[in-house]
Amino acid sequence: MGAGVSDRLDALDAPVPAAWSVTDDRAAVEQRVRRYLNALGVHDPREIEGLTPQVLERVEFRATLGQLGEPLEVAIEETHRLLDRWLVTELGLEAEPDQISSARAAVLGGHLPGWTRRWAGLSEVSLAESMRRVHFQAVPERAPLTMDPNPIQLCCHRLVPRLLARIGRGLGIRRRRA
Amino acid sequence: MSLQGFSAVVARHFQRPIYFILVLLTTLFTLSLLSAAIQDGGLSTLELVLLILYTILMLWISASFWTAAIGFLVLAFQSRRAEPVAPSPERVSSGRPGTFKTALVMPVYNEDPERVFAGLRAMVDALTETGRLDDFELFILSDTREPDIWLQEELLWRRWSEELGEPARLFYRNRVENIARKSGNLADFCREWGGRYRYMIVLDADSLMSGETLVEMVRRMEADARLALLQVPPVPVNRSSFFARMLQFAGSLYGRLFVAGLAFWQQDTANFWGHNAIIRVRPFADHCGLPRLPGREPFGGDILSHDFVEAALLARAGWRVRLAYDLGGSYEEIPPTLIDYAKRDRRWCQGNLQHARLILARGFKPLSRLHFAMGVMSYAASPLWLLFLIATGVEAYFKSLQQPVYFFGYSVVPIWPESYVVEMTTVLWVTLILLFLPKILALVLLALDRDEAQRFGGLLKASLSVLIESLLSVLLAPVLMLFQSKFVAAILLRTSVGWPAQQRGDHQTGWLEAIGAHGVHTLIAVAVGAVAYMQVPDFFWWFTPVLAGLLLSIPVSIFTSRTSLGQRAKRAGLFLTPSETEEPPVLRRLEERLAEPSLLGELSTDRRAFWTQAMMNPGVYALHDALLHDEPQTRRRRHILEGLVLQLQDEGEDSLSLREKRALLSHREGLYLLHTRLWAASALEKPLPLAKP
Repeated sequence: MGAGVSDRLDALDAPVPAAWSVTDDRAAVEQRVRRYLNALGVHDPREIEGLTPQVLERVEFRATLGQLGEPLEVAIEETHRLLDRWLVTELGLEAEPDQISSARAAVLGGHLPGWTRRWAGLSEVSLAESMRRVHFQAVPERAPLTMDPNPIQLCCHRLVPRLLARIGRGLGIRRRRA
Repeated sequence: MSLQGFSAVVARHFQRPIYFILVLLTTLFTLSLLSAAIQDGGLSTLELVLLILYTILMLWISASFWTAAIGFLVLAFQSRRAEPVAPSPERVSSGRPGTFKTALVMPVYNEDPERVFAGLRAMVDALTETGRLDDFELFILSDTREPDIWLQEELLWRRWSEELGEPARLFYRNRVENIARKSGNLADFCREWGGRYRYMIVLDADSLMSGETLVEMVRRMEADARLALLQVPPVPVNRSSFFARMLQFAGSLYGRLFVAGLAFWQQDTANFWGHNAIIRVRPFADHCGLPRLPGREPFGGDILSHDFVEAALLARAGWRVRLAYDLGGSYEEIPPTLIDYAKRDRRWCQGNLQHARLILARGFKPLSRLHFAMGVMSYAASPLWLLFLIATGVEAYFKSLQQPVYFFGYSVVPIWPESYVVEMTTVLWVTLILLFLPKILALVLLALDRDEAQRFGGLLKASLSVLIESLLSVLLAPVLMLFQSKFVAAILLRTSVGWPAQQRGDHQTGWLEAIGAHGVHTLIAVAVGAVAYMQVPDFFWWFTPVLAGLLLSIPVSIFTSRTSLGQRAKRAGLFLTPSETEEPPVLRRLEERLAEPSLLGELSTDRRAFWTQAMMNPGVYALHDALLHDEPQTRRRRHILEGLVLQLQDEGEDSLSLREKRALLSHREGLYLLHTRLWAASALEKPLPLAKP
């Protein structure tokens, strides 16, 4: 690991990030959430208006608990978490990370038109079936074969030591072993 | 038994003896001439060394010559064929579609992903035209370590698999550890998914095969239950530099003679060339697991040139390995310049030298041992030639001290001591004939087939091309000899010669690169030339072809790398090959696929590394995340990954090693941290790459 980590101790003495209560910070966080939502594919202003307050509410809650840390970081994490929670609910999943991951790739990959409406709570049409139909089957089912290394007996491998050992044994001299 | 059957049996049993007797007789003949000429007044130690070296080299040359000569006879006398491949539609459809699957497997390692996918797509297009696409599945077996290329491969896989639709037939996996390199990559495929397929067709990143050939390969495997591996010789294509076009021409024109000759004497114990071959998966899994060789590199450790060994192991287990000399539609791309060609040699050299340990290993068939020996000789021949030349020079020097030698005054014609002129001249001519007659035979073959001659630009242009190629090969041979000698020496001394990765696409050699690579060659030519001219002037004139090649290596390397020169030669009708005059559909499809708008171009900008930029794109991030496996979280790992993300943000991408970058991209925790922290950066990059994967 580079000096960038080992020299971080100085950062402990650095001033604490600006307080969440400052209006400018709130504005910066909100702006970043909007941009991130936009990058996720949420472009409709109504959808953005529906989702942004949910994220900010969670950020506020983290601040209340004293777990805010870096506000921008928390904001992005909470947006991400909001999406994952919706996916879990939509698909009725329980602790199935691979399926959540696959569903996230399906929506963010643009395979499900209208998903942002549903996420923002503006649509009643379930997308669960469509989500399940989008496969991310990078490899097929396993069909294993055994493939063990086949021995290759080399000729003359360590011939000299072997000959010396044999001569030694013939002469009654035992080789010392480490 | 019918007369035809009897003659077939006789031919099968006598093909190898005929070949080996011819090789031995030729070697003995030239050896007797040389020994008669040089042992004037007894045989000195130096003369003995010369004779031994000459014997080894003559065996090598005559083996090559008789392979080509027999190949010529095979091709000249076999019944008229329509095309080298072109299996008829009836034959193509004679298999039993749908009963089993064949995997097209392409192991890749940091290759240009656009080219990899374009090549595969061209082959799929070709298979679609045969109507047999459903019998095949495609596997990209990525050992790629570079993060940028890894993500690009995934994006291209995703886009193409969407296009192909259901059922899924395009698969991709990136190996966590690239243990045992390419052979380990294939072994991993067999261990995980081998049971799904009866055959696999192994491709290289620059391989291309026509749909008809792919189907025909499967048909031939089905027709012979003891056939485990069928190698289809690839023809070099698609490069446009002068050097590469010259090699493509030589490979296309002379190559078929050699391949037919090899198939004649190798019969059921042919070799595996590493790609463009179909393999029966189960026997491959049963017999081709490669052990690590005892001892340390270069001769110990992983078996690098695995293909020869796999063929030998299959043959050892009683399976047939054949070379389909009559099957075309198999292509590969070659290095564009002399320096790239040498770089490829450097990679291959160590693996081939490693085979020296296997020649006498127990259980292999005699012909497999011969393959190993020939693999070793393909690189050991260069230092042996070098030693032979040095020994000849030293011998000439000593002779010059004792008696009149072979040149007087300004005469350029050697004047031998009276009684040995005939013998020495015969040795010289025989050697030249062995080296150059295959080229003439290839032209004779063209003269016998006008249609084929037209595919090479006509007999006249082809002859002129042969002449130019021969002259240039005389200049290039000493350069390659020194390159290969250096590689062999470096490997034996366990030192690195520091070649960067091979560049596959067309590019041109600059003066600085040429001086760096060939400066020593030029200096050697000047120094050796000066010493020879001053000390043994008569030897100097003998030595001029070698000296000229080395002296001109810099300009020759630069000018032969020029694509403009290659294109000019093409316009002049020189070095034309059938793949240029009658472009096969699969090559045309490749060009079209490569011309399509690039997905990666949409995503990339110049400011940051592709991988960090891509990780900001939620779609790319989510796709990569979905292709990783879930694993239990650990606090320790999270701390390490957090540290790496911080380092990336504070010190930039270059501060992370390749392994550290891979660590971030290989764990879902790392990805999540990377994605969220990049998005939480105080100064967010603008504009964000928002293109969908």
